[in-house]
Amino acid sequence: MSLASVSTVAVSLFILGMFTMLVLNLNKLAENLESQVQINVYIKEDVNREDIKDLEGIIKDMQGVENVTYVDRETAMETFKKRLGDQTSILEALEDTNPLPESLVVELKEPAMVQTAAETLQKYDIVEEAKYGQDVIEHLFDITRLLRIFGFGLMLLLAGATLFIISNTIRLTVFARRKEIAIMKYVGATDWFIRWPFLLEGMVMGLCGGIIADIFLQLGYAEVESKIYNTLAFFPLIPADPFMTYISIGVIITGMFIGAMGSTISLKRFLEV
Amino acid sequence: MIHMKNLKKIYDDTGTIALENINLDVKKGEFVFLVGPSGAGKSTFIKLLLREVVPDEGVLTVNGRDVIRMSKKDVPYLRRGLGVIFQDYRLLPDKTVYENVAFAMQVIEAPRRLIQRNVNNVLEIVGLRDKYKCFPNQLSGGEQQRVAIARAIVNNPTILIADEPTGNLDPETSWEIMDIFLKINAAGTTILMATHDKEIVNVMKKRVIAIEDGHIVRDEMRGRYGYEN
Repeated sequence: MSLASVSTVAVSLFILGMFTMLVLNLNKLAENLESQVQINVYIKEDVNREDIKDLEGIIKDMQGVENVTYVDRETAMETFKKRLGDQTSILEALEDTNPLPESLVVELKEPAMVQTAAETLQKYDIVEEAKYGQDVIEHLFDITRLLRIFGFGLMLLLAGATLFIISNTIRLTVFARRKEIAIMKYVGATDWFIRWPFLLEGMVMGLCGGIIADIFLQLGYAEVESKIYNTLAFFPLIPADPFMTYISIGVIITGMFIGAMGSTISLKRFLEV
Repeated sequence: MIHMKNLKKIYDDTGTIALENINLDVKKGEFVFLVGPSGAGKSTFIKLLLREVVPDEGVLTVNGRDVIRMSKKDVPYLRRGLGVIFQDYRLLPDKTVYENVAFAMQVIEAPRRLIQRNVNNVLEIVGLRDKYKCFPNQLSGGEQQRVAIARAIVNNPTILIADEPTGNLDPETSWEIMDIFLKINAAGTTILMATHDKEIVNVMKKRVIAIEDGHIVRDEMRGRYGYEN
């Protein structure tokens, strides 16, 4: 068991873990967006306040509507400012003008009703646009689907590579001890008696590689978490606790499993006496 | 001890018939020489007993175990009843005499106290008690083969199988080995020895089984070697 093989195993497991985390987070984001039961109804410019009140009343009586809130232009601007956080350059470019429209925020009881409700609302004359982020969600699902396929392929590849590295390393140990193994077979040692030290070696390799990978995954996730918190606060990253615990355990178990498989493979030929 | 009936072995990869129509019974305590030209099937014969190869047809029982129908996980237990010795000794160079012999007991997970007692016993039998701390490369060929014998008998096998055990030894040393074999045989262990050593076979006057081209061509009590060299 050399440093080189352990670190290669660690790198493979690190990438394996990273992709799992990425896919899971994007899934979470997509689900989050999908479960949003909110429609933003943007009102055309220069519409009478009374007309908006009327529409608000109509929407309130619609089936499946939980709540309707009127948002004036100033409030919209406040929310926008909060969301931007430190990125003040956009605000500076606006130079105190407010391009944001008035809107009605419609909350629905069921996410399934979002599409039909939005289509109905779109038909009103004073409505500029009824948006509920469907296009974003669809895009996101496309991306996650792609990532999942790509990530799965990559994971298989990396798992294969890890298997190869571990089984090759063990093969060297097995080869160095082949005479001993042959004698053990002749005097009646059971296959398991011969196998377990090598199995242990493979599993320890997977364990060490997994622990190293986990350390970097933890550090990396903490870093990404703080970065996202500062710049993209609305991005719902899965909280590190207990998510990272599961990932860490998963990476270690995967490493040990691959290690055990690797040594089983390299021993097979030598046990057939 | 050993029962073979219409035994046949064909090697899959080449299709050659290694052994055919082998009928044989070896009783407890017998001393049997297996002779015949190189490539006649002696090695396959030994491999069948150890279940390194599985016969294609016939019946083979060793120590009452059905070797053909035996499952893979029972093979180690078959081998624990058999001691094996090779022409090239096959000792582990980084282990001492004592450790080489004890190794055979450790790997079948024998209790430590038993290991110590048995190893000392068998080293006494082969006359290497005082060399237990030596490494194989500090020993002569004859001594190394004696270590291999000690290792083969330390688990009290009922059958001792020797594949040309004197092939690398000079005549005098060979006789020392045969003396040990006789001692072991006298204690009740069946011995099956494949050999090319004409003098030994002719002098010992034991049962001789001759194999040629995969067939038993001779099976005589108090037999002779029967070949020119």
